[in-house]
Amino acid sequence: MDRRRFLRNLLSGATVVALGPALLHGADALAGDPAEFSAGLVDRPYLAGWRQVSANAFGPTTVQIEGRLPANFAGTLYRNGPAWFERDGFRYEHWFDGDGMVHGWRFGDGAVTHRGRMVQTPKFQREQRAGRFNTMAAGTTVPGQVAIRNNDDANTANTSVVTIGGRLFAMSEAGSAFELDPDALDTIGPVTWRPDLQALPFSANPLRDRDGSWWNFGALSMLGGSGLLLWHIGADASLIGAHVLEMDAPGYLHAFVQTDRHLVFLLMPYDFTPSGSFFESMRFAPQRACTVLVVEKAAPDRVARRFEVDFAMAYHFGDAFERAGEIVVRTVHHRDVEHARSPHRAAMSGHDGPAPAAQLAELRLDVHSGRARWDLLGVTGIEFPLFDARTPGDRSARLYMPTTEGETGAPYFNAVQMLDPASGRRDVHRYGRDILAEEHVFVPRPGSTRPDDGWLVGTVLDPTRNRSGIAVLDAQHIANGPLATAWLPYAFPLGFHGHFAQTGA
Amino acid sequence: MRRIPASFAAPFAVLAVAAALAAPVQAADLDVSIREARSQSGQFQVALVDAAGYAGSAAPVAARLLSPAGAVTHVRFDGVPAGRYALMVIHDENGNGRLDTNLVGMPVEGYGFSNNPRVMRKPTFDEAAFDVGADALALDIAIR
Repeated sequence: MDRRRFLRNLLSGATVVALGPALLHGADALAGDPAEFSAGLVDRPYLAGWRQVSANAFGPTTVQIEGRLPANFAGTLYRNGPAWFERDGFRYEHWFDGDGMVHGWRFGDGAVTHRGRMVQTPKFQREQRAGRFNTMAAGTTVPGQVAIRNNDDANTANTSVVTIGGRLFAMSEAGSAFELDPDALDTIGPVTWRPDLQALPFSANPLRDRDGSWWNFGALSMLGGSGLLLWHIGADASLIGAHVLEMDAPGYLHAFVQTDRHLVFLLMPYDFTPSGSFFESMRFAPQRACTVLVVEKAAPDRVARRFEVDFAMAYHFGDAFERAGEIVVRTVHHRDVEHARSPHRAAMSGHDGPAPAAQLAELRLDVHSGRARWDLLGVTGIEFPLFDARTPGDRSARLYMPTTEGETGAPYFNAVQMLDPASGRRDVHRYGRDILAEEHVFVPRPGSTRPDDGWLVGTVLDPTRNRSGIAVLDAQHIANGPLATAWLPYAFPLGFHGHFAQTGA
Repeated sequence: MRRIPASFAAPFAVLAVAAALAAPVQAADLDVSIREARSQSGQFQVALVDAAGYAGSAAPVAARLLSPAGAVTHVRFDGVPAGRYALMVIHDENGNGRLDTNLVGMPVEGYGFSNNPRVMRKPTFDEAAFDVGADALALDIAIR
């Protein structure tokens, strides 16, 4: 790894292809048009999922729960997602560009109290003051960009959220975690785990290990460097270790997966030709194989095994397990490279677009032979799979995820399901034709150690009544529908990922 | 005493020699305004370089160390011989004598270049360069 690459180039004169190579191309900006989006919203109410948030803070708003919440279901569902898409007549073209809003849905006393707050990143504050977007974005070329010091000046903190040791962190792909107050959701600031790790990516899908510690990665190639930064964070949110893993070639990744012994990274090959923002410049390379890096948790400073497997794109993983010399990884497998590069691109500009052509797949890594292959499971119309982390590490887990069931009014999910890939059993609740259903988080029943004994908590958007809501289901009886539901008197756009901070668990 | 990198220490010796030289045929004064520093702590390291100096293969033509002085900090270079130059500024906020960077070498302290090129890499010499002739020049550098 070329550790001093940026500095050496800064001081010595060579140039380097870095995060924003096309910032000089501001005049070629492809501005989205807010008026066009608004016009589309008239005929397609579901576009509310990508609508500019109506305020930079919501709540606290307390609403009564409909139905009956289990007595020992207690805690806060935190969620994060892009929410600020428009300024001064300019609309982002890429969903991932929107500045992050963190939501807290706190359950207590038969009611839900909701708060939503824009993460006060330097980017968001700078653009609030300027009244326009002026900062490089991941997927849209923004005109009139200001010079920025490093990636954290462009950090939107918009992808996910997690609590570690009672501290709340909002995360995105290419920058630091931002710490927030867990109650008020006020922004404290970017986290520096160690001085030399300042402003390095702390990616958006960290994994909690059975011992309570957390693993995460940061893709240094997104910063013009090379390698994969591997983080190990203690249950008390202190740094256990940080290691740079060598990568043979640039590979894109959004998330990763773990077994009891290993971490598994699927690197998707791409070509990078500077021609605008990062996602405008990158092209997935389906003619090349994906690289799979396997790292032993006991030796996190090096790659233990490398595999090659047929090209696929995968943002989100379900479970992984090890049995008989094989590592099996569940993921949502995309073949439509353009949709994967810019999900819901049409919706961002106010138009109909295709639903994601994704399906559940198993990546099977044969540790003895070094061979890897995909098994496509034929389950389509899914994303954001989650599972009960108490599932033993030598067997497959039940997956919980939004899906599409029956007629739908939107190219998005309208239902939630449990799928047991081992048995083929499926259990579905359909919220309704026009309801947009998001990721559903598994919450274990306190005091129980039985896998899958617990609940699902997930957020929904009802664009026809302009309201956002939350539902709690019994994970073992999903088809019975929610045990409890709560609707807010307002709506905000769809988010990406959530985390349930359980009280008294 | 704080450690000063060789590339910034060397120009002071160069300047001492240059002062003894006869005035060049054509020269001009530069008045540089440094703006938008995030703090008033530490020091600015300002280097005036030609193409060779920019590439790191020659010492700067001139260099200055000075403390931030409010919203705008002025620094002056008198009698700069006609030619093509660039200015590089490091805001050494913690006063440790260098531009602090993270594990991959990305700056975590402030820096700036003449022309304020909007790139997240070291600008090319041409992106940062300006021409000095007979007339005095006023230059603005925004610290990022």
